[in-house]
Amino acid sequence: MLSDLVVRIRSLFRRASVEAEMNDELRFHIERQTEKLAAAGIPREEAARRAHLEFGGVEQVKEECRDARGTSLVESLLQDVRYALRILRKNPGFTAVSMLTLALGIGANTAMFSIVYAVLVRPLPYAHPQRLTMVWQKDDLGRPGNTSFATYTDWKTRNHSFEQLALFRSWQPVLSGRGDPQKLIGLRVSNNFFRTLGVRPELGRDLRPEEDQPSTSHVVLLSHGLWERQFGSDPAIAGKTITLNAASYLVAGVLPADFESLLRTDPAGGPPEIFGALGYDASLPWACRTCQHLQAIGRVRFGVSFAQAQAEMDAISAALWKEHPSEYSASGVIFTPLREHLLGPLSRMLYVLLGAVSFVLLIACVNLANLLLARAAHREREMAVRATLGAGRLRMVRQLIVENWLLATAGAAAGLLPAWWTPRVLSAIGAGGLPRLADVRLDWHVLLFAFLAALLTGLVSGIVPALRLSKLALHDSLRERVEGSSGAAHRRLRGLFVVTEIALSLTLLVGAGLLLRSLSRLLEVAPGFDPQNVLTLIISTSGPRYDQNAALRQFYTDVLQRAAALPGVKAVGMTSEVPLGGNMDQYGFHAEGKMNANPELDPSAERYCVSPGYRRAMRIPLLRGRDLAPSDAEGAPLALLINQATAREIWPGEDPLGKRVKLGGTDKPWWTVVGIVGDVHQGALDARPNMQFYVPHAQWPYPDSDMVLAIRTSGPAAGMISAIRQVIHSVDPNQPVSRIMTLQEYIGASVGSRRLVLILLNIFAGIAVSLAIVGIYGVASYTVAQRTHEIGIRMALGAQRHAVLGMLLGQGLALALAGIGIGIAASFELTRFLGSLLFGVTPTDPATFAVVSLLLAGAALAAFYLPARRAMRVDPLVALRYE
Amino acid sequence: MAQQHIDLPQGTLDLLILKTLTLEPQHGWAISERVQQISQDVLRLQQGSLYPALHRLERRGWIKARWGTSENNRRAKYYELTASGRKQLEAEESAWRKLAAAVAQVLETA
Repeated sequence: MLSDLVVRIRSLFRRASVEAEMNDELRFHIERQTEKLAAAGIPREEAARRAHLEFGGVEQVKEECRDARGTSLVESLLQDVRYALRILRKNPGFTAVSMLTLALGIGANTAMFSIVYAVLVRPLPYAHPQRLTMVWQKDDLGRPGNTSFATYTDWKTRNHSFEQLALFRSWQPVLSGRGDPQKLIGLRVSNNFFRTLGVRPELGRDLRPEEDQPSTSHVVLLSHGLWERQFGSDPAIAGKTITLNAASYLVAGVLPADFESLLRTDPAGGPPEIFGALGYDASLPWACRTCQHLQAIGRVRFGVSFAQAQAEMDAISAALWKEHPSEYSASGVIFTPLREHLLGPLSRMLYVLLGAVSFVLLIACVNLANLLLARAAHREREMAVRATLGAGRLRMVRQLIVENWLLATAGAAAGLLPAWWTPRVLSAIGAGGLPRLADVRLDWHVLLFAFLAALLTGLVSGIVPALRLSKLALHDSLRERVEGSSGAAHRRLRGLFVVTEIALSLTLLVGAGLLLRSLSRLLEVAPGFDPQNVLTLIISTSGPRYDQNAALRQFYTDVLQRAAALPGVKAVGMTSEVPLGGNMDQYGFHAEGKMNANPELDPSAERYCVSPGYRRAMRIPLLRGRDLAPSDAEGAPLALLINQATAREIWPGEDPLGKRVKLGGTDKPWWTVVGIVGDVHQGALDARPNMQFYVPHAQWPYPDSDMVLAIRTSGPAAGMISAIRQVIHSVDPNQPVSRIMTLQEYIGASVGSRRLVLILLNIFAGIAVSLAIVGIYGVASYTVAQRTHEIGIRMALGAQRHAVLGMLLGQGLALALAGIGIGIAASFELTRFLGSLLFGVTPTDPATFAVVSLLLAGAALAAFYLPARRAMRVDPLVALRYE
Repeated sequence: MAQQHIDLPQGTLDLLILKTLTLEPQHGWAISERVQQISQDVLRLQQGSLYPALHRLERRGWIKARWGTSENNRRAKYYELTASGRKQLEAEESAWRKLAAAVAQVLETA
């Protein structure tokens, strides 16, 4: 009833004013009565006395009014809280242990939730992100691939499904004119890129269509961070010009602070911070239909599903294939919804961790239930008294649950500490290139989660003990009998707890063990080069001077020569792509006599544009033929090295040496294979190396302007950095150096996300096992203590110590084995979810299962052994009197 | 003549309060005065016990309270009958009459 609700709610929230109104009302009555009596001639004081008398006990009336208003629920809940606080204060040991248990359980879960929330749950920072999708060109193996400008233009003009279809590509311009030249991470984007995302500049304006032309494309947008860092938050930046790659660019605007470009073309770099107009020049040789170096992102129209859009795009793609049969290897497009594109690979990993951490909370719950049960024995009398005084069962259960909620809330408060530390721990571990991990923070979502987790934990762990205790209290007529039966029931329940804890811990340990083995297997994989003591850095050349190939090549030749002359340098080389650097160039590989009628169906291979000394500096083994040499210069016959995978793939059973091949198109010149080298893991240690070839920088028609210098040193590589910088500056002071990393660091970064999962899962497993051992120890101590009397009798009757010890340990072992059995069965089911996180081990790896099982059995036995041995030491006579 | 007081039978207090309020909104003191006046001081009402009943009736939505100024110019809490209170009164009144008649019949015939 509404009025009922209004009165109750008013009483709840306006307690003070409701009380005041009640006081006023009653006072008015008494005063009015006094007046009446006084009017009848009774002296004032006497009248007041009589009025009070006639009224009755004011406090009692007030109490009855409160009851009548229905505030009793809240009032009695407050009573429960006050009572619970008193009880918890009186048992500081119990309170501390349970709070710690809950703090660990809830803390780990809250910390994990804060990660999952920031990375996965939080909406993407774009307008209506559910309508955004990446659009890929499908290749002949059904894989998604980049697209070309010509294809994009046809897509854009022919489709009706997309509100916007935009393009972007990587861009790393050098900013100069403000201190040391600096290489920035950026994107070249089509003018509608930000309209596609639904992001508007906070300052200035967006890119304009007419600026998206080759002659007018010197226009950029800045990220908020870059604007702050490099331009001192200049409020008048829009309309000013800056110097990029030795040319002047107009700043159109600044993007809002909450915009972080999650779209990245360089996995090893940070988020892009500068966005230039694409201004694609379709007349250049690399603007061909087969030159797929652009990524497309589209926003489907409102009301159009991805499936409808996909169907239309597939039809367009089929038509294009018909029109240009030799320029596509397959028909069709692939959609990757933006959310999946950005977060898909992460979500499995994070959900595995979330699942794992919930086990920790379960164990914490079991531990607490266990503690409560042990304490129940001491509280039976208290509950019986309350029952006698008229407390209903519901009221007693509520009282016990309220106690638990208080504990859990306090535990959760303590558990916020780990969640508070999470961002710092993450940055210490290194995020492994995960997006949005920087946004992990303790916000109200996380607080709410912790609070709800506390409520749930309090209920789950408390309900069984509370129900048992209240039941016992109500049937407490024959104390002896009840205690006997409760003892047996409690023992069964405790056994169940031990089994549960062991099973849960085993599952977590198996998961952690499998990941640990995976990582160590992975790090055992030979990368194909020797990563010891090799320093790498990226040199970018820009400026009109280096538009000449000869000048560009001369610059690098000079840098290599001078670097090689440094003391402590054993070998120097350079490459267009560093292994495990996150990027790769793919080129069509057209071998003489092996070409398909449609050259697009020929395989592609990874291209390294290198200096002659690169292979030696990296210690990539030369298997046959000769290495590239300085004599493979411009004008000399074109020479290349291939890797083993290429030899196997293209020339099985033949000698590849001397064979000829065209690269990136059948209209290109012939290159001759002069040597075969070992395979290198370019993308990842857990991926099979692809076909690869090495061409000399001196012979490649468009020599790369950004090169990675690799310097093998005799000592630790880090000591060389300043000397190398000086060398580069001595050749040209205006060319920036970036991403100074050792090869070891590249390897570490390539397994970064794996390591993150491993570390977190190990922390969780560690907490789980510690909690479980504490819990098992508690049960064991209690069981043994309860049986002290029995032990005394057995020993008095002449039982051997070791026989009695064996009996107790046997009981522990039986529980441990049951837990291990259930845990193994559960793990068989659950480790499947680790899926691709595993490498080199099966999800049912027997060794891992065996080690983990032994470990847990041992721990459980130790937990039983300690209290059992203590019981053995007790004098049988004392034991007999024990009760 | 010495006055004879009858304690209020259980459950009838609500009925009396509702009945008292049919004429006009009243504050608590006036209600208790009026009950005693009309019953010619036969019904004895412990004055304090009136208030829990008033608060209970308010919660049920049969009466509603409003602060007003009393006959002696003081702030007092006035209660008035609501529509559902009126219905409730009718129902209780007829129930009471039936009960009283039934009891009377039993007493006469037994």
